[in-house]
Amino acid sequence: MKFRIFRSAEDQTGSGPVDPTETPRMGGQLLPEATATSKAKATEEPRAYEASDLPGPTVVDSPPVGPIKIAARDVSVFYEGKQALYDVSLDIPDKTVTALIGPSGCGKSTFLRTMNRMNDTISGAKVTGRIAMDGEDINDRSIDPVLLRARVGMVFQRPNPFPKSIYENVAYGPKIHGLVSAKSEMDGVVESALKRAGLWDEVADRLQSSAMGLSGGQQQRLVIARAIAVNPEVILMDEPCSALDPIATARIEELIDELRERFCIVIVTHSMAQAARVSQRTAFFHMGRLVETGDTEDIFQNPRERRTLDYITGRFG
Amino acid sequence: MIWIYLLFLVALGAAAFLGGRELARRRAVGAKPHSRPGQHGAYALIWVAAPALLVLILLSVFATPLERQLTAAGTPEAVAALEPFRRDAFFADAHRVGRGEPALQIWERPLAEQLPVEARRMVSIERTLQWGGGLGAILAALIGGLFAFSQIKPQTRARNRVEGWVYGALFVCSAIAVLTTLGIIASLAFDSLRFFQKVPVFEFLFGTQWSPQIAIRADQVGSTGAFGAVPLFAGTLLIMLIAMCVAAPIGLLSAIYLSEYAGRTTRAVIKPLLEILAGVPTVVYGFFAALTVGPILRVFFNEIGLFLIGGPLDGLGQYLALVQNQMALTAGAVMGIMLIPFVSSLSDDILNAVPQSLRDGSFAMGATKSETVKRVLLPAALPGIAGALLLAVSRAIGETMIVTMAAGLAANLTFNPLDTVTTVTVQIVTLLTGDQEFNSAKTLSAFGLGLTLFLATLVLNIVAHRIVQTYREQYD
Repeated sequence: MKFRIFRSAEDQTGSGPVDPTETPRMGGQLLPEATATSKAKATEEPRAYEASDLPGPTVVDSPPVGPIKIAARDVSVFYEGKQALYDVSLDIPDKTVTALIGPSGCGKSTFLRTMNRMNDTISGAKVTGRIAMDGEDINDRSIDPVLLRARVGMVFQRPNPFPKSIYENVAYGPKIHGLVSAKSEMDGVVESALKRAGLWDEVADRLQSSAMGLSGGQQQRLVIARAIAVNPEVILMDEPCSALDPIATARIEELIDELRERFCIVIVTHSMAQAARVSQRTAFFHMGRLVETGDTEDIFQNPRERRTLDYITGRFG
Repeated sequence: MIWIYLLFLVALGAAAFLGGRELARRRAVGAKPHSRPGQHGAYALIWVAAPALLVLILLSVFATPLERQLTAAGTPEAVAALEPFRRDAFFADAHRVGRGEPALQIWERPLAEQLPVEARRMVSIERTLQWGGGLGAILAALIGGLFAFSQIKPQTRARNRVEGWVYGALFVCSAIAVLTTLGIIASLAFDSLRFFQKVPVFEFLFGTQWSPQIAIRADQVGSTGAFGAVPLFAGTLLIMLIAMCVAAPIGLLSAIYLSEYAGRTTRAVIKPLLEILAGVPTVVYGFFAALTVGPILRVFFNEIGLFLIGGPLDGLGQYLALVQNQMALTAGAVMGIMLIPFVSSLSDDILNAVPQSLRDGSFAMGATKSETVKRVLLPAALPGIAGALLLAVSRAIGETMIVTMAAGLAANLTFNPLDTVTTVTVQIVTLLTGDQEFNSAKTLSAFGLGLTLFLATLVLNIVAHRIVQTYREQYD
């Protein structure tokens, strides 16, 4: 089924009965199923969720199809002794977009950063549990985080190109990892990375001008090009569109859809519409715990957990 | 005497404040006042204090000339007939007698009788002025206060008027700083002009001979003096270069360590220590240079020289064996040590201003810390660091004490760091200390040097601040 998130004005004014199999409605509207339940519970006191009354790792989630790229088991993260993530176990399939959703401070970005060991750069951060990439524990002492990060690229919330030329930005990774030796080879790498990031046509004639002169959306695509220039296996994206306008967002989303064919992509997003549009798998985090995970369609249409339903229907978060 | 007036004025001010506030409260009854009673009180206080202060300032400026005028007006004939300097001496004695002290001189007949009379007249003039001034101040305060009280109405915008006075007072304070600077520049420029009337600018800027001694008798050797400042500029430049060779790399690397590598606890220890180093008075660095570093370097080079004598490098050995304590290297090296905290603390700030997102971006690409520093942070921070180094250069040029104590006084035109050299600042010190004749080219040359130095550091500072500024705006 094709996923439609925003209904047209016609749909909204239409008085016909709502088809229960219809796309869930976003933007504060309630899901069809949710309407019934929320009416029934309208008299109930609204209550805050406490970490203590949350269950542990949830019931059987629907397993992903296809080969697993990253398998996380009982991953906990502590910042200066304060626990930010509780026993997260999650399988991330290859050549798929997995979306991590949840309210602010729920631990989704923290979990994302465990996968390329970026938490190592924060003093006082401690990660426990096992994260296996292709069956290999990435927290093992034999794994060099520097080399790991060449295999697991990352795109941040705000575009962060280096204050260098566009060319230098893309060439940065190949240069420090010594992937290419000749200048002509580097030109090829830069060109293909920019092409795959959908930026080549816009910057081909000004590769030597500063990356700071690009628009926000272009900068974010440049950062994606920079990440794919080293041919990573996984790309982590931490709210990549939160600083962009809708048009730039749409371009990045298209790009993510294209990149899915070659990379394993994990994306943290605050926009449930975005999660629904770009991802095939979704994991919902709340208060540092993984609440529910499954195929995106299932999560949005038939969430098994009450909290998931409340979140995707906009009742909290 | 004046304290009594001041005390009285303070009391008057306090009364004005309290009275104004109370009056404003009463008059506000039934109306919707624009300002709060306290603001009316403050307004009244200002109108009491400002006119009184104005009168007191005028009095302190004009009291002396006024007193002189009054004294001269009633001078008895016998005194008026005296020569000017004897007349001044007589009045000075009259003052002393008036204060109850014995006269310094013994005055002859007609004057001796006049002395107590005049003394009494002096005292009365002084009294009159003091009372007059004090009463004037109080009168001004009262008039101001009455005016302010007449203004206390519900619709008066006392709040805004007080704000206006605050603005004015703050403006005057900052204007004083700026005007003082302008005054310094003007006095430098004025005296330099007098110097350049005696010595042509061209000769000063491009002459290679510096010997400001001017003989007392015309037939003495070296009677003309030479004012070519090039050896001084060269010495300043040499010492500055040596200092920067020490300060730039060590300061920069320690800044990189502090901002990128050091843990929180290490940083908490090292940063204050560096700042203590920055607070050491330069005289202390001067001791250190003259008494510790200088002898160590001399012994070191002398030993090398003794070792080389008789060998193939005999000439060099002869030279090194005779190296003195005072040399450019000592002063430069110690000055460099002095500048390390300056450079490192500025560079540390600049590196910290580079957004964390750039570091994250680089780490996420699989770059190590040193690769990130070398390829991302330093290029990004380069303009700011260049600005910091320029600021350090301008401090090195203006530094006086270390060079005075450790570099020597001989104005040699050399770039040999083992030679004694002298700098612009050292020459200014030697030219102006002790008894000096303020009209000779020798003394005036200090102002020429001062002006040159001032212009050089001014340009450096402006350039450096401009660079640092544009760099800061880059990320905002």
